[in-house]
Amino acid sequence: MELQAVLMAAGGGSRMMDLTYNTPKPLLPVGNKPLIWYPLNLLERVGFEEVIVITTKEVQKMISTDPKVKLDVKMKLDLVCIQEDADMGTADALRHIQQKVKTDVLVVSCDLITDAALHEVVDLFRAHNATLSMLMSKAHEFTETVPGQKGKKKTGEQRDFVGVDGTGKRLLFMANEADLDEGVVIRKSIMRKHPRMHIKTGLVDAHLYCLKKSVVDFLADNKSISSIRGELVPYLVRKQFSKSTNSPKVIDETHQNLKKNDSNVNLEIQISSRDEELLHLTQERSCWNDHRGDMSDAYHGGRLRCYVHIMDEGICYRVNTLAAYIEANRLAPKLFDEPAVHPSAVVSERCLIGADSIIGASCQISDKTSIKRSTIGVSTTVREKVKVTNSIIMHGVTIEEGCNIQGSVICSNAVIGRGADIKYCLVGSAQRIEPDALPFETLLRPPCLRSTLTPTSTHRSTHTQCLFKQLNRNNTCLC
Amino acid sequence: MSSRGGKQKKGNVTSEQEEEEQPLQAVLVADSFNRRFFPISKDQPRALLPLGNVAMIDYTLEFLTSTGVQETFVFCCWMSNKIKDHLLKSKWCRPTSPNVVHIITSDLYRSLGDVLRDVDAKNLVRNDFILVYGDVVSNIDVSQALQEHRHRRKVDKNISVMTMVFKESSPGHKSRCEEDDVIVAMDSKSKRFSMGTDEFEIRHDLLDCHISICSPQVAELFTDNFDYQTRNDFVRGILVNEEILGNQIHLYVTQDGYGARVSNLQMYDSVSSDMVRRWVYPLTPEANFTDQQGQGCTHSRHNVYRGAEVSLGHGSQMEENVLIGRDTSIGANCHISNSVIGNNCTIGDNVVLDRAHMWNNVHISSNVEIHQSVVCDGAVVKEAVRLNKQCVLAYNVVIGPNLSLPEGTVVSMHHPEEEEEDDDDEFLSDDQEVGHSKDKTRQKAFNPAEVGPEGKGYIWKASMNDTEDEELAQCLWGLVLNPDPESDSESEASEESQDRTFQLEVLGTLQRGLEENIVCDNLVLEINSLKYAYNITLKEVMQILTRVVLEYPFQQQGTQLTTLQYTGSLLPLLKTWSPVFKNYIKRAQDHLDCLSAVEELFLEQDTHQTAMVKVLMKMYQLEILEEEAILKWFSTGATNDKSRQLRKNQGLQKFIQWLKEAEDESSEEGE
Repeated sequence: MELQAVLMAAGGGSRMMDLTYNTPKPLLPVGNKPLIWYPLNLLERVGFEEVIVITTKEVQKMISTDPKVKLDVKMKLDLVCIQEDADMGTADALRHIQQKVKTDVLVVSCDLITDAALHEVVDLFRAHNATLSMLMSKAHEFTETVPGQKGKKKTGEQRDFVGVDGTGKRLLFMANEADLDEGVVIRKSIMRKHPRMHIKTGLVDAHLYCLKKSVVDFLADNKSISSIRGELVPYLVRKQFSKSTNSPKVIDETHQNLKKNDSNVNLEIQISSRDEELLHLTQERSCWNDHRGDMSDAYHGGRLRCYVHIMDEGICYRVNTLAAYIEANRLAPKLFDEPAVHPSAVVSERCLIGADSIIGASCQISDKTSIKRSTIGVSTTVREKVKVTNSIIMHGVTIEEGCNIQGSVICSNAVIGRGADIKYCLVGSAQRIEPDALPFETLLRPPCLRSTLTPTSTHRSTHTQCLFKQLNRNNTCLC
Repeated sequence: MSSRGGKQKKGNVTSEQEEEEQPLQAVLVADSFNRRFFPISKDQPRALLPLGNVAMIDYTLEFLTSTGVQETFVFCCWMSNKIKDHLLKSKWCRPTSPNVVHIITSDLYRSLGDVLRDVDAKNLVRNDFILVYGDVVSNIDVSQALQEHRHRRKVDKNISVMTMVFKESSPGHKSRCEEDDVIVAMDSKSKRFSMGTDEFEIRHDLLDCHISICSPQVAELFTDNFDYQTRNDFVRGILVNEEILGNQIHLYVTQDGYGARVSNLQMYDSVSSDMVRRWVYPLTPEANFTDQQGQGCTHSRHNVYRGAEVSLGHGSQMEENVLIGRDTSIGANCHISNSVIGNNCTIGDNVVLDRAHMWNNVHISSNVEIHQSVVCDGAVVKEAVRLNKQCVLAYNVVIGPNLSLPEGTVVSMHHPEEEEEDDDDEFLSDDQEVGHSKDKTRQKAFNPAEVGPEGKGYIWKASMNDTEDEELAQCLWGLVLNPDPESDSESEASEESQDRTFQLEVLGTLQRGLEENIVCDNLVLEINSLKYAYNITLKEVMQILTRVVLEYPFQQQGTQLTTLQYTGSLLPLLKTWSPVFKNYIKRAQDHLDCLSAVEELFLEQDTHQTAMVKVLMKMYQLEILEEEAILKWFSTGATNDKSRQLRKNQGLQKFIQWLKEAEDESSEEGE
């Protein structure tokens, strides 16, 4: 076994509370399949036979009991539960399963929907004996109208600056706009080794990482790191060019010392694999190197190497916002070829169903109904003369006669009263819409959520940035 | 071209054709406007210094001519007469020259900016022109760059004002000048200098050839911005104002070709050796492109060039990359490698030359060893002298015999102090100057310990430590920059000192407040303004304030106070300043911060720990601190052994006990 797959499925989906307040994010239906199915399928396609899934008790319970979220994968799932309220980051989770990690790991987030060729990432990892290799993609503009956000300016997420070398593979630099006081600062020592650096913005991190086992061990020794993306990856990228890693001898010496002295703050990450000696010999003997202009050895003797594969085309979404969720639903059918209308669905012959729509199992679609560019979830009942366009209907929804639903998201078990006209709305789980209601661009959800929604999500993101800052400069967080 | 012309409106066609028929112009600045080559350039302007036995300006002119320049304006300032004489004698001023050279001299040019402002004032350029210095050696074919530049100007309506020519060369390359180590941010697609776009490239593998293709606007822009002195000023100005003025600068990156500016002796050394190694082909020593009689030489294996009438003694070896000028005679058993020897030189027996650059009429006696050094015209090196690396013997210097010059020695007939005396006249014509100064220097004796018993010349100290940054760069051989120490702690140090000065200011304020009986409100105002001036956070203000107040008695009466005296003088102070404290201590966190500041101080002053209780008591009574905060601090604040020890203090224990009881009572009362 070369790589162990680890799926992170414990996130709360804090940036789309409207959807996740009673369905955990991994189980949100996308194209009538739970979100977690997509990364699992991705792993299964490339031949993984076993996956460690880190998740919450709630999700575990629902996976084993709820027939609607049947996972339909042949892989062996090793479910590991972590406490929901512990506020564990991804790195914490990885540390949690350190005992199970026997080899290098492939970490995937549960909200990744992609048709990327995974081998590209893994090949980089193999070819360069890398410490970290990751997947990124060009950011997509979301075209669909998001309920309740029409006309609102997108809250510009802070840009990430990603620096890669001339080949576009080696990851040299990474910084978030939030951490930059005045412009991008790049060390000259990096420039000396990699004189051509492409700085890219507008990339999304797919949150798919190949990590050396030694990194997991390193995490176990460094409890202060709690997030992979926020802290570990930037740390690794920075460490590539810090002095001590450049001279192998020093590392070997410190390696000995560190074993004894765990309290040492400047812990070095050891990159030791089975064939380390042989590999080293090959590198010494080989005339290949990853730079030109001087005669120094391959990789400049740096033993910590980070690589990135940047997808130019193809689908790559992280379903962590409402907009991304809607977009993913639109594109999901392209990722698998199953009949658009589930065989167990009862669809009247006198209705119109567009080819770009999906009808889930045991649905009832009555006469004179038109469904276009929409997803209808399992056990949903749609009565006569209903018109559904550009919408997502989750499981167990009842839509009474004569409704018109456009550009909306209807969560599970909602009931839409007769003749309601819903445009660009989000109807929360188990909500009832009165007959003949005409909501427009509103979020209809339980009252408890209304006030707390946005502040929590924004605070969370800024707070992680603060943590990150703290790590950088030992400043105190003022959040 | 024709197809593009066809698309244009008919009216434009004629004007465009006119444009294309206009001769390509160039502005050559034959002055460096710095004193990097001092003291060599005291006798000869930099553009005329020989490189491979040919004056540098000839390379530049040959480069311009070969790229199709038909009209060149040569701007001279320092020693303009010499440059003028040289050019008038050269092939460029013959009637057959394809490149018409106009020489413009003025003593008033102090920078590139002045030159370009003059170009604008005299209305010399009508179209795109090439801007180079008189010390650029290059064989790059810029016609491609020129075409790109013109195309951009046509497409984008004169947005692009300048195209700079860069050559690809990795960091650490010999022809990269350490001082000129550029890092360029560019848009890879449009080849534009930029940072703003979604994707850009940062390149450290480019060598600035100091060749720029400029639009006529460049001269105008220099006129508009009278503070632009150098091209760097200009580039910075354009980039900063890009969004306002809409001007852009583009790059042209070439992979082959050679282009470098001889900006210091280090560069002189590398360009010269590249020349001899034929990297600047077709500008090679044997090509005699200056078309002067007697300059021809023969090229044989291992890049050995010999001029006419060269005599070589028995057993002498010319190993490789050696250029020997005409009428030079070399004695027996010499060993010469990687060197350039000028015309009319005589070299004795058993001489070792490695990376030596000897100009004309140099006399070297026997048993001399020279490594990586420059020996100027008319210098004499006597018997058994050894020149270590990076020595410079300026014009007419005599050295030796039996002497070893340490690394980096610069010897000149000009006295170093003389430079300072006529600092202001540096740009004036030199003739009378030199004669005048010679009189003066003759009075000062040469130091035989420095230049040998028969030597003539003064040592120029390479002391640059006491001068300003700008002059630091004046070292002849250029700077060797140390790699940047990989630390980002710079800012922290300054922050610390900020805190310190703030603390002193607060102390001063309080002191004055006490002396002049200033109302506390005004003190608060003053401290607040200090806070903004030194950019201190509120938390730090309070910590520093606490510290200053508690240290006040020590400050005033020395550190030898007994605890009793200390509390005696401190407590009234606390009473006076309690409004100040109250102003800063409001939230619960503030109370804790204040307490930790108190704790920190008493941990340092461990002999006075008993006083702490009294201080806390007083602060509690003055209602500066709340009892909950004190209790909380007491129970949770201990982080290390020392502070735990502190909390075991009997008085403090009692005080806390008392507080707790008081709290219970008050809560009971409340019920």
